[in-house]
Formats: sequence, C-alpha cells, structure tokens
Amino acid sequence: MKILEKIKKNKLLSAVIFTYIVLLITMPDKAIAAINNSMYYVFEMLLIMPVIFILTSLTEAWVPKEVIINGFGEKSGFKGNIFAFLLGSFSAGPIYAAFPVCRMLLKKGASIANIVIVLSTWAVIKVPMLANEAKFLGPKFMATRWVFTTISIFIMAYFIAKAVKKEDMPEEEETNQSEVSVNQDYCIGCGVCASICPKIFYMEDKKALARNEVIAGPMVEKVNKAAKACPANAINYA
Amino acid sequence: MKLPKLDIFTLSLWIITIGLFLFFLFKDKKKTLNSTKVAKGMMGGLLGDLMGILFLIGLILTFVPPETIKTLLGKSNVYLATIISAFAGSVTLIPAFIAFPLVGSLVKVGASIVPAVAFLTTLTMVGFVTFPLEKKELGFKFALWRNSLSFVFALIIAFVMGVVA
Repeated sequence: MKILEKIKKNKLLSAVIFTYIVLLITMPDKAIAAINNSMYYVFEMLLIMPVIFILTSLTEAWVPKEVIINGFGEKSGFKGNIFAFLLGSFSAGPIYAAFPVCRMLLKKGASIANIVIVLSTWAVIKVPMLANEAKFLGPKFMATRWVFTTISIFIMAYFIAKAVKKEDMPEEEETNQSEVSVNQDYCIGCGVCASICPKIFYMEDKKALARNEVIAGPMVEKVNKAAKACPANAINYA
Repeated sequence: MKLPKLDIFTLSLWIITIGLFLFFLFKDKKKTLNSTKVAKGMMGGLLGDLMGILFLIGLILTFVPPETIKTLLGKSNVYLATIISAFAGSVTLIPAFIAFPLVGSLVKVGASIVPAVAFLTTLTMVGFVTFPLEKKELGFKFALWRNSLSFVFALIIAFVMGVVA
C-alpha cells in the first residue's frame, strides 16, 4: 500500500527505475552505459545543488521583502519597476506561488505593469536558478538569455498595462473568517508555518494544513508571523 | 566513468556563496539556519523528479544517437523544432531547476540553442496548467494577455539568441 503511494507520487522516477530494471535483465551492457552517462549529470548536479540551496535559503531570509513591496505603489514610476524586478528576482518557489503574492500587491496599490514584472521575473530569472542555468548551459548562454528576457519583460509590462485595466481584475472576495486556512492550490510545502507555529499548522502529503482551532492570546501573533513568513502567501487569516 | 571537472565558474560560485553564508550566519545565526529549513522543504519535494530526469538523460544519451538529436533539434529543422519546443514548454509544469540538466545534455550532443531557449522560456513564463489559477487571481484578460505575449516573446528571444550567441 505504502509502496503504491510512493510510486504514484514519483511517477517519473518510478517509470525510469522500471526501465532500468528491464534493461539490466535484457541488455545489461546498455543499462550500464546509461547509468554511466547519468552519473556524469548526477555529479554535475551535486556540484551545484548546495550553491542553489544556500542561495535560496539566504534569499528567503534576508531579502527585505517588505521594503521592496512598499517601494512600488501606483505612481512609483521607474523606481517602482526596478523594485518589482528585484522582488521577482529574489524570490523562491514556482510561478503559481507568485499569483497570491501579486494579488496582495494589487491590494496594496501596485500597478498592472509592476505585477507583470514581478510575475515574469519570478518565473524566468530568479537568481538561484541563474546559477543553475550557467552551470548546465554556460555563463554566456545564461547572461545573453537574461539580457533579452529582461528587455522583453519591460516591453510586455508596457503593453499589458495598456491593454488590461484594474477593472478587469476580479473583485476581492469577502473573507469573513476568524479561522485559519491554508490555500492548498498555492502551498509549496516548505513547512515554514509548521516550524513557526506547530500548534496550528502541520504537514501532510507535502502540503501544510491548519487545525480547526480557535486562535486566541499569544497564538494570534504566532499565526500572523507564520502567515507573513509563507513564501506563497497561501495562509488565509482574517 | 567520465566525471565533471570543477571549473572556474562553479568554483567562484562556491566561494561567493560560502562567503555570503558565513556573513549572514555571523549576523544572525538563528535566522540563517532557520531559512535553510524552508529551502529544504521547497527543494526536498523535487528530489524524486530530479533523480528521474537525471537518469532519463542517461537513457536518452545511450539510446538516441547524436545524429538523431541533430536532425530533430538541430540547425536543419530549426523553425519547426522551435515552435514545437515552445508549445511543449507551455504545457509542461516542471521546475526549471530540473529542466536545465536535460536541456544542457541535449545541447551538448548537438541540439540547436534556439529550440532550447524557446523551451526554457515558455516552460517558466507560459503556464497552460496554471492558467485557471492565474485567471482566478488576476482575471481572464490579464492571464490571456500575459501568457500569449510571453509565448510570442519566448520565440523572439529564442531566434535572436540563435543569431547572436
């Protein structure tokens, strides 16, 4: 039962392992050649993984996100664009983790152009990923792609701001709850909430969940701290 | 077995990263160590897929001859290959962090960089699978404009890079 679940969760790895087992039986020399070919890339990855890992941790902890976020309101102009660019560049997590963050930024008065910039930089040119790209495709490849992507992002921001107005954005849903919940669509399973406030948050299946409890007293501050620390802004707490 | 060499670029990355880490560790030990837990959670979930891709690379390199990769993804077929790669990147949802070694291995045996760039750029910037989420948070019009413009620009970036790089 447990093994089946593991296979389901790691479909790609299971399929690859299965292929190797079949190969080892039918044509062992090819299987060994394939393992040798893979090992080269496994070692390459081991050379760069700790770097990406440490850079991601440092970005999460030390980039002053609040200072940056307060830097781009409606009339912040070019300086606001640069702040948006920095926020996207120094973020961690996949693009879908950026959607609720952008929603929060809109509420704080960020312009459409800056939302495009945050979302696109978040997706394509995050700093720890640049290190990885340079490792596997060369520093020159990485730098050239970075330059062209940056130019494209600014052009796109200009056009989308012309085409889409704030009225086209969905209305804010009324959230009238005093309970905590974790939006399962956006949780990236990092576990930071569970480590800040283990009384309320717990991890299950690589996602965080909140216990159905009344939050009062010193717990309020802890839940707030966890909600703020969530890199995907996925904790709803009114 | 061929082992990768520690090139000057990786070495300097290591030195810079260790330097930064020590600096912040000195500044606030608890905060810095705590942050590694967050990153561990983020990246830990990807390990299965990462190993899957790395060992898939071995299978591809062993069973698909370089000539085939050159014909399919090489200079002779570049327009079609690029558009297909851009579509493939749009519908796939794998972290770029896992895609780089795969794309790097294909380029090394002769794939052109134009489809490679198109794939990497749409992979991260265009999201077919995440479109419903984007629509819900930022509206249909925004999501449609952003995704279609990103697709077009990914192609432009790819072809420009083919000329200059």
